[in-house]
Amino acid sequence: MMEEAASQLERDHVHSVYDKIAPYFNDSRYKAWPKVQQFLLDLQPGSIVADIGCGNGKYLHINKEVFKLGCDVCRPLVDFAWSQGHEVQMCDGLHLPYRDGCFDAVLSIAVIHHLSTKERRIRAIKEMARTLQVGGRIMIYVWAMEQKRRKFEKQDIFVPWNPNPHSPSGFTSEHAKPRRRATAQSVSEAIDNADKHRKVRSTSSVADEEEDLTCATPQQSTQRLWFFSRSLDSVFDFGSLAISRSSSRDLSTLSSPTGENEGNQASKRGRGRRLIKQVSSFFLSPPVIGSEEDVFDSVTDLHKGQNDPGCNNNNNGTENQSVSVSLTRECGSLALPDLVPFQKEHLKQSGEEREGGLQGKEQQESTMSPQGSEGQVEGSCLRYYHVFREGELAELIENHVEELHVKQTYFDHANWCVVAEKVQLWKI
Amino acid sequence: MKLLTHNMLTSHVKGVTKGYPLLIKATEVKVNEVDFNPQFVSRMIPKLEWSALVQAADELGQRQDLPGELVPEYENNEEFLKKVHRVLLEVEVIEGCLRCPESGREFPISRGIPNMLLSEDEV
Repeated sequence: MMEEAASQLERDHVHSVYDKIAPYFNDSRYKAWPKVQQFLLDLQPGSIVADIGCGNGKYLHINKEVFKLGCDVCRPLVDFAWSQGHEVQMCDGLHLPYRDGCFDAVLSIAVIHHLSTKERRIRAIKEMARTLQVGGRIMIYVWAMEQKRRKFEKQDIFVPWNPNPHSPSGFTSEHAKPRRRATAQSVSEAIDNADKHRKVRSTSSVADEEEDLTCATPQQSTQRLWFFSRSLDSVFDFGSLAISRSSSRDLSTLSSPTGENEGNQASKRGRGRRLIKQVSSFFLSPPVIGSEEDVFDSVTDLHKGQNDPGCNNNNNGTENQSVSVSLTRECGSLALPDLVPFQKEHLKQSGEEREGGLQGKEQQESTMSPQGSEGQVEGSCLRYYHVFREGELAELIENHVEELHVKQTYFDHANWCVVAEKVQLWKI
Repeated sequence: MKLLTHNMLTSHVKGVTKGYPLLIKATEVKVNEVDFNPQFVSRMIPKLEWSALVQAADELGQRQDLPGELVPEYENNEEFLKKVHRVLLEVEVIEGCLRCPESGREFPISRGIPNMLLSEDEV
């Protein structure tokens, strides 16, 4: 059951988010990190390298002397990588479709922090180790809890994706990467069709995101742009499932980011997933955030905010820019993984909602499902991350993946990094 | 999907022990021109399952005169290396599917990309 909850969470807060934001990833700001680049350049000519979780394939062009392939769960990103001439597949990191020991090197750059349990993270590493040749090396990068300017207070967080993190003004035109294949790729077209004067930034790079999180504009200067959650690993400690009444009230404030219409749809949908939602709702449960007083303060702010003309219904403000600006402005007052503009609607219903924390979650989930039709990114793109403490990644490998020996660990651009080597295990 | 990639791919359906090599059913194949790098090809060869490569090339009707066994001292045999280069890197499956030899499960290839994602009951 934990497994279902974990994969459900990842579907909602990793896979579907990347599906939605993929078109925005392909801009010029996406550069390869130098140390990863060097790892690739140092490989023996004739090596075979796999980039597991390759995204748009930004590392796949490095080093013409080696054969690279990439894989990812996100179709639009993989399509883009293919349009750049790379060999890519769709697959998931927990079930790699490669034979044992066929790679000389493997990359896992900013990927396994999206797996929601420790066990899944270990399995992903073991899968990659399986595909490595003895003597081959793996390089793993994960977001660090300890960052230059701040430390995330919890390890399991949601980070909203902001297409325009720095400021609403100051756009530069973007140039899509040249297409090396004749086939039209829908993602490239999306770039072409997008407003060319828009400066779009992907926030998967922590170094850049650090700046996002501290906010460039005055109005955002005091905002927090990530939300805490509880580790799924701890949810299944049944002691913690005895949620107090105050927290079920808090659950009710998990509002529907969509209007009433979609709320109705949502209640029709997903009844069968009630158990998983119940677990997930504990996962998102507010009490883990700071102290309860914080949560209630935030709720009070919302009441005040109800009449604030700045609260825009997401359905009305259709520009990505205004969505993201209002989202970041509103969300700062709230420690919940939530969309404030719709809180007021939900609070009206709070009488019914009190017992229906589940309904709230359902409605929230309905927003999380892909709505790509308009080609717009709704403000509801919250990506799940498990950020790593210093030493955690190396420990994970040392204690649970005996076929890998850690060779190097270091901190790079707000990531913890490990290079490990596949070793022969002798079984007696 | 190039045949070099195919050489690495295997069926990972739960319970399958003989999932390699995947059988190829192609409905669209392209042959591109790719710069020939003899050293690169020569270094790839030891990493390949040679018979799987030959079988795949055969399935696509692209085998030409690729030998069923590796020729000795191929490192300096440019003619041989060119043949290998062609099947490894120039032949490309754009549309079709990969079939697990044991379970029969088919993994679609579309727009050059094999979709190896398993459904919940297959893991």
